[in-house]
Amino acid sequence: MVHVATVVPISETVGANKIVPAVAIPYPLGNPDMPPDEEQRLRRRLVEKSIEALTTAVEEQTVFDS
Amino acid sequence: MDLENQERVKSLAEKHGPENLVVILGGAEAEASGLTAETVTVGDPAYAGPLAGVSLGLPVFHIVEPEIKEQVDPEVYEEQIAMMEMVLEVDDICEEVKNYREQGSKYLG
Amino acid sequence: MNRAQSTSADQRSLKKLRVVHYLNQFFGQVGGEEKAGMGPEVREGVVGPGMAFAKQLGEAAEIVATVICGDNYFGEQVDEAGAEVLKLIQKYKPDLVIAGPAFNAGRYGVACGAVAQRVTEALDLPVITGMYPENPGVEIYRRFAYVIETGNSAAAMRTAVPAMAALVKKFAAGAAIGGPEEEGYIPRGIRKNFFHQERGARRAVGILTKKLKGEEFVTEYPMPNFDRVDIAEPLSKVEDATIALVTSGGIVPRGNPDRIESSSASKYGRYSLKGVEDLTAETHETAHGGYDPVYANDDPDRVLPVDVLRELEKEGAIGRLHPYYYSTVGNGTSVANAKKYASEIAAELVNEGVQAVILTST
Repeated sequence: MVHVATVVPISETVGANKIVPAVAIPYPLGNPDMPPDEEQRLRRRLVEKSIEALTTAVEEQTVFDS
Repeated sequence: MDLENQERVKSLAEKHGPENLVVILGGAEAEASGLTAETVTVGDPAYAGPLAGVSLGLPVFHIVEPEIKEQVDPEVYEEQIAMMEMVLEVDDICEEVKNYREQGSKYLG
Repeated sequence: MNRAQSTSADQRSLKKLRVVHYLNQFFGQVGGEEKAGMGPEVREGVVGPGMAFAKQLGEAAEIVATVICGDNYFGEQVDEAGAEVLKLIQKYKPDLVIAGPAFNAGRYGVACGAVAQRVTEALDLPVITGMYPENPGVEIYRRFAYVIETGNSAAAMRTAVPAMAALVKKFAAGAAIGGPEEEGYIPRGIRKNFFHQERGARRAVGILTKKLKGEEFVTEYPMPNFDRVDIAEPLSKVEDATIALVTSGGIVPRGNPDRIESSSASKYGRYSLKGVEDLTAETHETAHGGYDPVYANDDPDRVLPVDVLRELEKEGAIGRLHPYYYSTVGNGTSVANAKKYASEIAAELVNEGVQAVILTST
């Protein structure tokens, strides 16, 4: 499992082992200030990062930053 | 009571004078009704909205309280309230609202 | 250690404790969720709940300024926001900081806690806040503040303020601060050594004797509860894997057919993604009441990225997107309920051959 969340300390404190920092609280995988295709690319990058996290072996709680 | 409604009540009190207003509540729960009654009498107990620290002292009643119920056309009451009333904790609601009214309403005469 | 305690009693009674109060945008009277992105600002004197504190504190302490910051602004950049807020607090040279109370509001609790950490580490001042025990801010920051235990909503303001104020007054008086049960704060995880009348061996045997007799006993050292999760094996063949989406962001079919509550959700939903390529404002919405819903309602993929998962599926980058997603509202959800939903959801997912989950939160 990978947790896509904005407030990383909360994710860490509940024990998530793989965390992908999200964009913002009301739009974790988006950004309404971007033009639609840029936003789409942003969402794709975050999902790809999540998939990367799923396939990566970790020894401890790990935040997958860009 | 949410921020917008607090603002509305405050404006109405400023516009018409608190002695010319009565607040009638229709909420389904005693605790929530009590908090709203407190808000329009002594002020927002959560100190979150425009009525934080503002004591309007408005007279406040709940629609199921006898003082209000008996002033409503029985047919209208039957149509609009009777069904809901069956599932409410009427006694608890009346007690809560009465409590706050007695403590904080200034214009009951 | 705090400055209030190091001043002599005579000087103490003349000097009023200087306090700065930290609030979020809501209690700071600025606005609701639509203002949660506001950066830190200062107001002189009291704002909102500060009025209630002032009444309780009387001559013992004075709230000289209030710092207000949006919960999203803080939550989205905890370090930067903490530094900015610290700078604003420092200007007023307080003797003590009050934060919140935050009750069960998670972002607010984290902000109050982070402020407490900054103030404790940089200024060595006591910070008093108030939270419901399940607030994530408690577990993360409890050793940096005195977290008075409160109820789970703002309805508990009437009891939280007097309890917090009582502790502030103790600092003002230079009185010794007692343990958690005495003062009403949540245990900080700080061990203080002291000499007991009875020696340890005797006390240990005393406890053991009670235990053997089946009598009630009180442990001297409650075992800390580490909320850790076993690390799962990494996904090996992602191009063959079935991946499921789960969210606490409250994304539901338009109309919220199961009536998942906007706060303190009593249920979760399982919804079909069969034939769904993309979530839109027409097909889905958010039920979550704890964040500004406009962006998620406009395009629910911003919380539940179905569109991208479908693309990856088409390209063969993943095996497939599981045809069901699970959703609940993670706003004031009790830990007990969250655990229950999670174990039911996990059991179903495992049963249906799902190999990995992407969990999104707001």
